[in-house]
Amino acid sequence: MTVIECAGLGVVLVEVIDVHHCYGKRRVLRGVDLQLPTGLLTGIVGENGAGKSTLLKILAGELRPSGGQVRHDGRFGYCPQQVVLNDALTVRQHLAFLQRAFRLGDLRHAQEVMEVLGLAEYADERAAVLSGGTRQKLNLTLALMHDPQVLLLDEPYQGFDWDTYLRFWDLAGRLRDRGRSVLVVSHLAYDTERLDELWCLSGGRLQPQMAGAA
Amino acid sequence: MMLLATATRYALLEHARNRFAMVLIALFLPVWTLLAHAAMPDTPARLQLRATGELLAPRGNEITAISGALNAVTLITGFLMFAVTFTSSGFDRRLAMAGYPRTHLVAAKVTALSFACALISAYATAVTCLTWTPRQPVLLTAAFFCAGLTYGVLGVGFGALLRREVEGMFAIVMTSIVDLLLQNPITSSGAGSTITRFLPSYGAMQAATAAGFSTISVPQYVLWQLAWFTVAALLGLLAFHRRTRTTLTVPPRMSVPEQPTRRQQTADLL
Repeated sequence: MTVIECAGLGVVLVEVIDVHHCYGKRRVLRGVDLQLPTGLLTGIVGENGAGKSTLLKILAGELRPSGGQVRHDGRFGYCPQQVVLNDALTVRQHLAFLQRAFRLGDLRHAQEVMEVLGLAEYADERAAVLSGGTRQKLNLTLALMHDPQVLLLDEPYQGFDWDTYLRFWDLAGRLRDRGRSVLVVSHLAYDTERLDELWCLSGGRLQPQMAGAA
Repeated sequence: MMLLATATRYALLEHARNRFAMVLIALFLPVWTLLAHAAMPDTPARLQLRATGELLAPRGNEITAISGALNAVTLITGFLMFAVTFTSSGFDRRLAMAGYPRTHLVAAKVTALSFACALISAYATAVTCLTWTPRQPVLLTAAFFCAGLTYGVLGVGFGALLRREVEGMFAIVMTSIVDLLLQNPITSSGAGSTITRFLPSYGAMQAATAAGFSTISVPQYVLWQLAWFTVAALLGLLAFHRRTRTTLTVPPRMSVPEQPTRRQQTADLL
């Protein structure tokens, strides 16, 4: 991929060009264009069924769009809306399995994320017995453990208590400050003041919103 | 090699934590096999075994016990593999998209399945031997093993393709029942039909019947069953490949040099 510099921003790591998607006759995305540069915390909000998760699945490579292009560069981490774990394995076993997948030399980064999210104390618990919020913490840790350059986060704080919710935003901000590109998708327009860029997905298209205005 | 070892270790762990499957192995298999032997009449049933060409007259309850054991083994291995594929398909996809080689994941599943089949088939043979003495217990175990392998990979295919748990369970149960019922000479007058040659456990049923009532070894029918396993495994592999594929054309792990950003600060790592 050709490295593109966004005016005043960092290098573009993900570029979405005129992406369309239909489920049968229902058109969900009608020409989405988006660039995710380094060092930017981007938010996408929209009503239920607006197509936010569809767009993120397309960005993550889970879904082939009906039309348009997605260009990726760099490592990315994807935290899906639905928690994707193996209930038979413990937290530690999840990390060990993904460590092999990512070919990581150690779990230093994962341990740091776990400390921030308050997950470390559950290391030897099986995923099946974790609470909804703790499962989501593990889901998020697995998406971040390889220190990705692009983070695609779909409703990443579902089930979090207030303290963890605040720590999540603190973590997202610090990752942005380290040059990571962070995309957070939510149906709520809370905390827009924490974002650098905000988009609203409506009518199948992204409309720019003023970050911090909601 | 480490990737395969890790995936195999966790695949075995998943099987070991499937408590319902453990209950099925411990209770369903012996109850079904022993009940078939106890409830069916011991009147000899005349049949010509295609595998050996011999005219045999096995007792009705003994041949039904073989059919029952095969039914139990295939249901258990089919359920075992369906359950792990169905419940962990999302996680398998996550692993594949993170860079875990899908061939290693599939190989690990097959290795774990083989291990489970070896234990279950040996157990099924031991249970069978409680009430009567098959002529060739090793061949009987091999027949159970190959039938278990075949249904195990069918379970992987069902788990990857079907969207609801009940659909997969129904598919496995009905496949096994139709398959074995049509081949049992006690319950089906069509057991000698040419159509039965194309059933999923035909090779295993022929080998198991020869193992029970003949002294002639029929390794070619074990190989026939392994051919069924191979074909079913390829189909299961295709289904698994389809379920875990990524639409990205650019490798996601390609790295780019770190660039200074407009917000570059001296923040510590997390």
